[in-house]
Amino acid sequence: MMSPRMLMKKELENGRITNYCQISFQSFGVKIGVRAESSDLINEIKNDLSKINPNGFDIIDDSQIEHLFEIKPEENKGIEIIKDGKLLISWSHEMSILPFLQSQIRLTIAEFAESKVFLHAGAVGWKGRAILIPARSFSGKSTLVAELVKRGASYYSDDYAVLDQEGLLHPFHRQLSLRGFEDKYQQVDFSVESLGGKASSEPIPIGIVLITKYKEGNKNPKNWKPQILTGGRGIMEILSHTIPIRYNPKFSLEVLNKVSKHAIICKSQRGDATEFTSLLLNFFETHVIK
Amino acid sequence: MNSSQVPVARKEGLVIQEMPDEVLVYDLDTNKAHCLNQTAAFVWKSCNGRNSVAEITKLVGDDSGSAVPEDLVWLAIDQLSEKNLLANSLKANFNGSTRREVIKKIGLAAVIGIPVVASLTAPTSVLAAATCACSTDANCAALPGCPPTCGGNGICV
Repeated sequence: MMSPRMLMKKELENGRITNYCQISFQSFGVKIGVRAESSDLINEIKNDLSKINPNGFDIIDDSQIEHLFEIKPEENKGIEIIKDGKLLISWSHEMSILPFLQSQIRLTIAEFAESKVFLHAGAVGWKGRAILIPARSFSGKSTLVAELVKRGASYYSDDYAVLDQEGLLHPFHRQLSLRGFEDKYQQVDFSVESLGGKASSEPIPIGIVLITKYKEGNKNPKNWKPQILTGGRGIMEILSHTIPIRYNPKFSLEVLNKVSKHAIICKSQRGDATEFTSLLLNFFETHVIK
Repeated sequence: MNSSQVPVARKEGLVIQEMPDEVLVYDLDTNKAHCLNQTAAFVWKSCNGRNSVAEITKLVGDDSGSAVPEDLVWLAIDQLSEKNLLANSLKANFNGSTRREVIKKIGLAAVIGIPVVASLTAPTSVLAAATCACSTDANCAALPGCPPTCGGNGICV
């Protein structure tokens, strides 16, 4: 006779979740459980796991989990999300909690991933070398990635760039989220194929790390010359976008040091993305591909 | 200033990443990262608990091939001490001059780079990911899955 845990696992695998509302899975070596009173929410999470990590998941036994998200009703008809026993947020808004929960799970994977360093960055490949664009939200990162993809660059990431212990870039293919279609803020998702681009799955070395921010009204100079940073100063810039820096500073610094040995790290403001893409690719061809 | 003072580089609670011309230091106690340029790194490495400031000044001069003023070493020590990268406390005294004035004075004559220790506080994972980073409530309303109000820390709450 199967134990309740084994029975639940079996039901999870078969897509039939009964009164035991938990899903446990592993991604990048990070073992996560999500527990809720509502099986609907757990089902939604299960059906949408690819939105959290497009690279895939393994369902694991509940006893293996290292990080637990609990979704509980609170007194004022809202919801509480508790992570590892600590209140993450009280949610009393009408909108669905699912995207927030997904982003928090993704962030947990990014912070604790085994043998990988996640950066908040866009990334594309060009002739076998990567262009990495670490940046905060609202800096025009996705717009620049989309323009590069339209110009033939292979797509690696719009959100999280994944580096291995040798400093190579691995793909993290989520849909590109672009603003400016419905209004200034609202994001609209596009597949890389719909932009006429293609995604790549091969790990590649970093050719250039570009620290940049779109500034409205900025003009791109015809003779674009970014400020080239020393390895140390470059890493200091990248650190601001390095998800596991506090959790695993030693490994993060080792990986970023490897990146700095082979890549140009540069900094520049930019204007219009279409025009800037030409300047960037021209610079890349001259200084990286040679 | 007392050139016989002996500075000692802190070793505990630090992650040190050597680079060709710089040293990166991560302070596990404060979650601060420091980038020591070549001169600052040379001085820091020379703070072994045996070399006095005067001796470190000579070592820097020997390494660069030209004598350097002791104030240059004090400039490094002053920053290293301020960033808590020394195990003992040393206070530089530039005889009433500010650090800026000393940099200006040395900078004109220096054959090597002025020592610089650049620092930043490492972001928490949430800030690094900027999952729900915002400057206005409108940002939050537009970010999928983020709470609708922009909090004082630049994160939707």
